[in-house]
Amino acid sequence: MRLSALLSAARLRLPPGYRHGMWPPDSMAARLRNPPGQRRRKVFVEPVAKDDWKVFKGDTVQVLAGKDAGKQGLVTQVVQARNWVVVEGLNTHYRYVSRTAKYSGTYIASEAPLLLSQICLVDPEDRKPTEVEWRYTEEGERVRVSLRSGRILPVPPQPRQDGIVPEQWIGEWDGSGGWGDVAGDTGAECCPLARTDGPKDTSEEDALAKTYRPSLKTFEEEIMDAMGIVETRRAKKSYWY
Amino acid sequence: MGLLTQLVRGLVRGADRVSPFTSKRGPRSHNKGRGAKKLGVLTRNKKFLLVKEMVPEFVVPDLTGFKLRPYVSYRAAEGSEPPVTAKQLFDELVAPRIEKDVKDGTFDPNNLEKYGFEPTQEGKLFQLFPKNYVR
Repeated sequence: MRLSALLSAARLRLPPGYRHGMWPPDSMAARLRNPPGQRRRKVFVEPVAKDDWKVFKGDTVQVLAGKDAGKQGLVTQVVQARNWVVVEGLNTHYRYVSRTAKYSGTYIASEAPLLLSQICLVDPEDRKPTEVEWRYTEEGERVRVSLRSGRILPVPPQPRQDGIVPEQWIGEWDGSGGWGDVAGDTGAECCPLARTDGPKDTSEEDALAKTYRPSLKTFEEEIMDAMGIVETRRAKKSYWY
Repeated sequence: MGLLTQLVRGLVRGADRVSPFTSKRGPRSHNKGRGAKKLGVLTRNKKFLLVKEMVPEFVVPDLTGFKLRPYVSYRAAEGSEPPVTAKQLFDELVAPRIEKDVKDGTFDPNNLEKYGFEPTQEGKLFQLFPKNYVR
């Protein structure tokens, strides 16, 4: 296979006219709505450099325009390609879910994304909207600084790309214990097997245990002593240049 | 397919010239090795004599009760310890013994072999320099 093909297979390469939605690009929904070869009208977004991006998941922001103008909320999702920010519980519309032939389905509120211009970051102590800039501290660390008060806005801890939350990791699981409430499931919570150690995983205690005993022998010499191997032959002297 | 896509496909058509021509490609008569070393000597009668010393043999100690496995649980914190330096080894193993001997008065600067000093690497199976073992 071509080397370039192998390298691009590791990272998902999106076609140039790809239209991003609220779902990740490798999900079923994205693949349904963006079949290969589809060309849609281009969506124009205000260009924002990647290292100039200021809003992250877990930030508190205030909505400036729209139905819920003036309210503050937590950011649950960020789509940089379209300058989108989804705030929990704000800018919602209602839609039907699990509608079948017999059952009319339930109404649930689903959030619509907000553009960066409709959003403003909030000062952590004041809890008022401020303009934010990227600056460097005395130590050389890059931080977000509120322009009005000069306070630092810490970037909230970002979740891992593979969606694993180490705090929720069960570790060794002997199969006992309930499977939890099936109704309120989000991904890994519904299946405990998805967040336990497998047969090839070292447990946390064994991985962090310090069993190294320093010695002047090399690794091979120690194994020879342990197994009682005696080697009296020596390699013939050879020269290389 | 649009006009532009067809033009681009015309530019990249053809056999793969860039990737290496390995033994997995070509007709059945194309016989090629992948660089394995010969483990013996070919005699004048075209018979191959295997030299047992050239055949690699894995020496693995008994791993019953061994707790470490290929992967690590996600709960373990990230990070690693810095590699052990020669100075650390000396400070932990050799320095206390030398100090004890100096206090007792039995320190002999001509007899450093008892602390592990090796004046020459000749005659050793695993020489430190030039390094003749893999790990």
